[in-house]
Amino acid sequence: MFGLANPDRFARFTRPLVPVLWAAAVVLLLVGTGFAFTAPEDYQQGDTVRIMFVHVPAASVGLMIYGALGVSSFFALVFRHPLADAAARAAALPGAAYTLLALVTGSLWGKPMWGAWWAWGDARLLSVLILFLFYLGYMALRASIDDETRAARAAAVLGLVGLINLPIVKFSVDWWNTLHQPASLVRADGPSMPAVFLTPLLTMMAAYLVLFLAIWLTSIRTEIVRRRVVAIRARRALEA
Amino acid sequence: MIDLDMAPYAAFVWPAWGISAVVLTALAARALIAARRWSAELKRLEAAQGTSGQEVRPQAAQRAIGPEE
Repeated sequence: MFGLANPDRFARFTRPLVPVLWAAAVVLLLVGTGFAFTAPEDYQQGDTVRIMFVHVPAASVGLMIYGALGVSSFFALVFRHPLADAAARAAALPGAAYTLLALVTGSLWGKPMWGAWWAWGDARLLSVLILFLFYLGYMALRASIDDETRAARAAAVLGLVGLINLPIVKFSVDWWNTLHQPASLVRADGPSMPAVFLTPLLTMMAAYLVLFLAIWLTSIRTEIVRRRVVAIRARRALEA
Repeated sequence: MIDLDMAPYAAFVWPAWGISAVVLTALAARALIAARRWSAELKRLEAAQGTSGQEVRPQAAQRAIGPEE
């Protein structure tokens, strides 16, 4: 496991894995979409239940991605490992995009069900908005500092601080009275939805997760190549 | 049987799926295009200096990407 921390070994290990992940993501997305549009209407929510199949995967994987960013930031900060920094950097944009999708699709689901696009007093909505702002802050901080080493350290600190928000997002529906419904998948007594909705939901969650892994590994590999290019250019500039 | 009649919620269901499809496709395309672009640039630089880059790795590169095995 720790051997993969070596960039060369990581690149060799992930080379055959990346195309498999891309193919699996495409297949899972197609199958999940098929399941989503063959599921029956919900007796209360009607066809809006189909928004759940894109909203919940975006929200849950968006949250997981921040966990990956935070752990990578920890290793980058403590061990100053360049691969950990590359992993944190590569997770930021997909994480922001997934979280933005969760906010937008949640709003599109909320309007017909709650009668409101947004509720400022809702702890789940606010904590997910804060998660999105952490992603934006992480990317903005990296972009605002020219020295890549300093930018990486500053962003890693912010990445670690943002981890505090993850349990708040997860348990906000239990700790406070919210408009947002409580957890219906990860519960002590098991999922509270019928298999006809659970199957497309779990398939789409797997699709979003595998797609993220494909994008993440591809982006980490690209970051390794980019740093080699920057280093070669720097050496040439010194020789010239 | 595929059900594409979202009435009366079509104005909410289709934008949610449409935005998701556009954003995920853009993310995937960006990652693949960047991978291709930087790989091509590395090959060009290595060809220009006449080595594979693995054989002669500059100290600056070692600092940037970590130690060689």
